[in-house]
Amino acid sequence: MRVSAHARAPGANRVVVALSVAALLALWGVAAIGVAPNRIVPGTPLKLAEVAGWYGALLGSLPLLALAALAWRPELARLKLALGLALALLMALPAGLALLGALALDPALPQARLGLGPAFWLLLFLLALVLIELRTRLWLGSLAGWGMVAAVALAWGATGWVLSSWLAPLALWQEYRVRSEAFGTAVLYHLLLVGGAVGASLVLGTAIALAMRRSRRLERAGFTLLNLVQTIPSLALFGLLLAPLAWLAANVGWLHALGVRGIGWAPAFLALLGYSLLPMVRNTFVALSGVEAGVLEAARGMGMSRAQVFWQVRLPLALPVVLEGIRITTVQAIGLAAVAALVGAGGLGTFIFQGLGQAAMDLVLLGALPILAMALAADALLGALSRRLSPQENRSHGGAG
Amino acid sequence: MIELFEVTKRFGAETAVDGISLRVESGELCALVGTSGCGKSTTLRMINRLIEHDGGEIHLDGRPVREFDEQALRRRIGYAIQSTGLFPHWTVARNIGLVPRLLKWPATRVRARVEELMALLGLPLEQFADKYPHQLSGGQAQRVGVARALAADPDILLMDEPFGALDPITRESLQAELRDLQARLNKTIVFVTHDMDEALALADRLVVMRAGRIVQQGTPLSLLRDPADDFVASLLGGEDRGLKEAAITPVSERMQPLSPRLLPKARVHQSASLRQALSVMFREQADRLAVVDDEDMAVGELSLRRLVEGRRDE
Ligand SMILES: Nc1ncnc2c1ncn2[C@@H]1O[C@H](COP(=O)(O)OP(=O)(O)OP(=O)(O)O)[C@@H](O)[C@H]1O
Ligand SMILES: [Mg+2]
Repeated sequence: MRVSAHARAPGANRVVVALSVAALLALWGVAAIGVAPNRIVPGTPLKLAEVAGWYGALLGSLPLLALAALAWRPELARLKLALGLALALLMALPAGLALLGALALDPALPQARLGLGPAFWLLLFLLALVLIELRTRLWLGSLAGWGMVAAVALAWGATGWVLSSWLAPLALWQEYRVRSEAFGTAVLYHLLLVGGAVGASLVLGTAIALAMRRSRRLERAGFTLLNLVQTIPSLALFGLLLAPLAWLAANVGWLHALGVRGIGWAPAFLALLGYSLLPMVRNTFVALSGVEAGVLEAARGMGMSRAQVFWQVRLPLALPVVLEGIRITTVQAIGLAAVAALVGAGGLGTFIFQGLGQAAMDLVLLGALPILAMALAADALLGALSRRLSPQENRSHGGAG
Repeated sequence: MIELFEVTKRFGAETAVDGISLRVESGELCALVGTSGCGKSTTLRMINRLIEHDGGEIHLDGRPVREFDEQALRRRIGYAIQSTGLFPHWTVARNIGLVPRLLKWPATRVRARVEELMALLGLPLEQFADKYPHQLSGGQAQRVGVARALAADPDILLMDEPFGALDPITRESLQAELRDLQARLNKTIVFVTHDMDEALALADRLVVMRAGRIVQQGTPLSLLRDPADDFVASLLGGEDRGLKEAAITPVSERMQPLSPRLLPKARVHQSASLRQALSVMFREQADRLAVVDDEDMAVGELSLRRLVEGRRDE
C-alpha cells in the first residue's frame, strides 16, 4: 500500500479534498454561530461572512483551501503537513469561536448568549474525519491517535482558560454555570448507574453463561428470554417495572430502606441490567465455547485439573471476547441510562429532557455531549484493552493499527 | 506395559470400540492403523482416560487405569495430537514446561528440562523459546507438541497422528528423531497414523483396526507377508506390498560377499533399503550393485536375483 501510494503518479487524496471542500461549503453556506439577547428569545443564526465580513471569511477559508491543496498531490511530506494543519485547525476551533463571539455580541447586552451553529459542528466533524483519514494514510499507530486527542483536549482546555471572558457568553457554558453542581451529580449518577449495571451484568451474565454451557435446554431458554427483553422498548420496560417495584417497596421493609421505589434508581438499574445481560451473556458464552477443542483436549490430556483448565486455559483465551462484550454493553448502557432520567433516576438524561421541555437546545447539548464523550471514551479504551489482551496475532503486529 | 482386555466403548447407539484386546510391551512402539472412524483415537484416549471405557479392562503395568488418580495418570503419560493443542497464549518454553510445572518441579529443573528438550528436537533456544505458537511453522509446532509430551520424561507416550500434515522431508526427519528417541530412552509408545509407510517404518507391532475391532496384529513384516484378509492387504498397499517390504528391509540383510568378478559401477549404501537398491538398479539399468560403507569402500555386492529371491533361504 505504502509503496504504491508513492510509486503511482500521485492522484489527489480525494477524501481529504472532498472533506475540505465540504468544510468550506459549511463555513460559507450555513450559520457558524447564533446570537440571542437573552435565554428566552430564539437566537439569530449568523454565517461566517455575516460576522467577520468578506475579508475575514476569506481569511478563515485560507487554511481549508491550503488543506485541499496539500491533499491534491499526496506526497508524504505534504500529507504530514496537511495532518499538522488539520490538527492545528481543530485545536484552534474554540479560539475562532471566541473571536466570532467577540465580534458578534453587543457588549451593552450582558445577558446575550452565543450559540453554536451547524457550521461549527460540521467543521468539528469534518476535521476529525480528515485526521482519521490522514492517520490511516500515514500509517500512524494508535499512540499517535491518542496523542492527537490529547493535543486537542489540551488546546481546548487552555483556550477556555485563557479566553474565559470571551467564551463566557457561550450558551452551553451559561447552561452549565447555573447548574454546575447538578451537572457534577448528574455525571456521577450516570457513571454509577452504568458502572453498577455493567458490573452486575458481568457477574450475573458470566454465571448464566456458565450455567448455559452445562445444559442445552437452559441455553435455548436463556437466549430466548434475553432476546425477548431486548425487544421491549426501554420506556415500556421502566413502566413494567414500576408496579412490582412499588409493591415491593411498600411491602418489604429492607428494600424500602435501601431506597427501592417504583421510580428512581431501582427500575432504571434493573432495566439497564436486563438490556445489558444479552450482549454480556452472548459474548461470554461464545467466548467460553469458542476455545479450540484441540487446546482443551491437550490441556486435559496433560493432566490439568478442571479448575486449572478453566482458569489457565479457557478463561484467558476467552477474555478478549468477554471484554468485547463488556465494551458493547457499556456503550449501550451509557446511551440507555439517559432514558432512565424519565423515571427519576437522575443522570445526564435529566438535562436532555429538561432542555427538550423548555426548547432549550443548549441544555440538551449539556446532557448529550458528555454522554457522547463517555461512549466514545469507553469504546476506545475497552477496545484497546481487548486488542491488547487478545493473544499474539494482534500483539505481534500491532503498531500499524 | 499397556494391556487392553476386551475393551469396549459406545457413543449412544454407536459402538466406537468393540471388544479389542492388545498388549504393548515396555519399550515397544505399537502403531494403530485403519480407515477413518475405526476407533483409533478413541482407543488412545481410553488409555489416558480422556474417554472412560464402558467394558473390559485397561491395565498399565498390571494395574487397572481406573485405579489411578485421573490427573496423576495423565501426567505420567505423554500425549501428542495432530492439532498440537499448544496453548496459544503461552510461549513455546512455557508450553513445553507444562507437565513438569503441574508436577511441581522446582523452576530451575523445569528450565533445564525445557532447554534439554528443545535441543533434542532441534529447536534452538534463542530462536524459539519466547515465540508464540502462531509464530511457528506446522512442523515446528508439532515438534513443540512432541517436546511437551516428553517433558516429564513419561515412560508411556500416546501419539495421535503427531506428524500429520507435514511435508515428507520434515516428517521423515521427525520419524528418525522418534525412532532415535525410542531406541535411547526405551519408551512405550502407542502411535496412530494414516501414513502406512510411517507405520511400517516405525512400528514394532502393527495393529490394523476396522469398525472398532482389531483385524490383525503383528510385526510389520508378518502382516505384509501374510495379511489376514483383503482389507488388510489393500490397507497395507495392495500390489505395492512387495515394495513396502523392500522399503523396510536393509540392503545389509541380503548383501553377498564380494565376488572375484569386476565390481559394478552402480553402488548403494549398506544401510539403504532394498527398495532403494531396486530403484538404483532400475535407474542405472544394472542387475548388480556394489554395496558400500560410509567411506564409499565396497563391502559387498547385491544382485537383482539375490534381492528378489533372498527370502527363500531365510
Ligand atoms: N465424543 C464422541 N461422541 C460421539 N461419537 C464419537 C465421539 N468420539 C468419537 N466418536 C465416534 O466414534 C468413532 C471412532 O472415532 P475415532 O475418533 O476413534 O476414529 P479414528 O479412528 O481416530 O478416526 P480418524 O482416523 O478419522 O481420526 C467414530 O464413528 C466417531 O464418530
Ligand atoms: Mg483420530
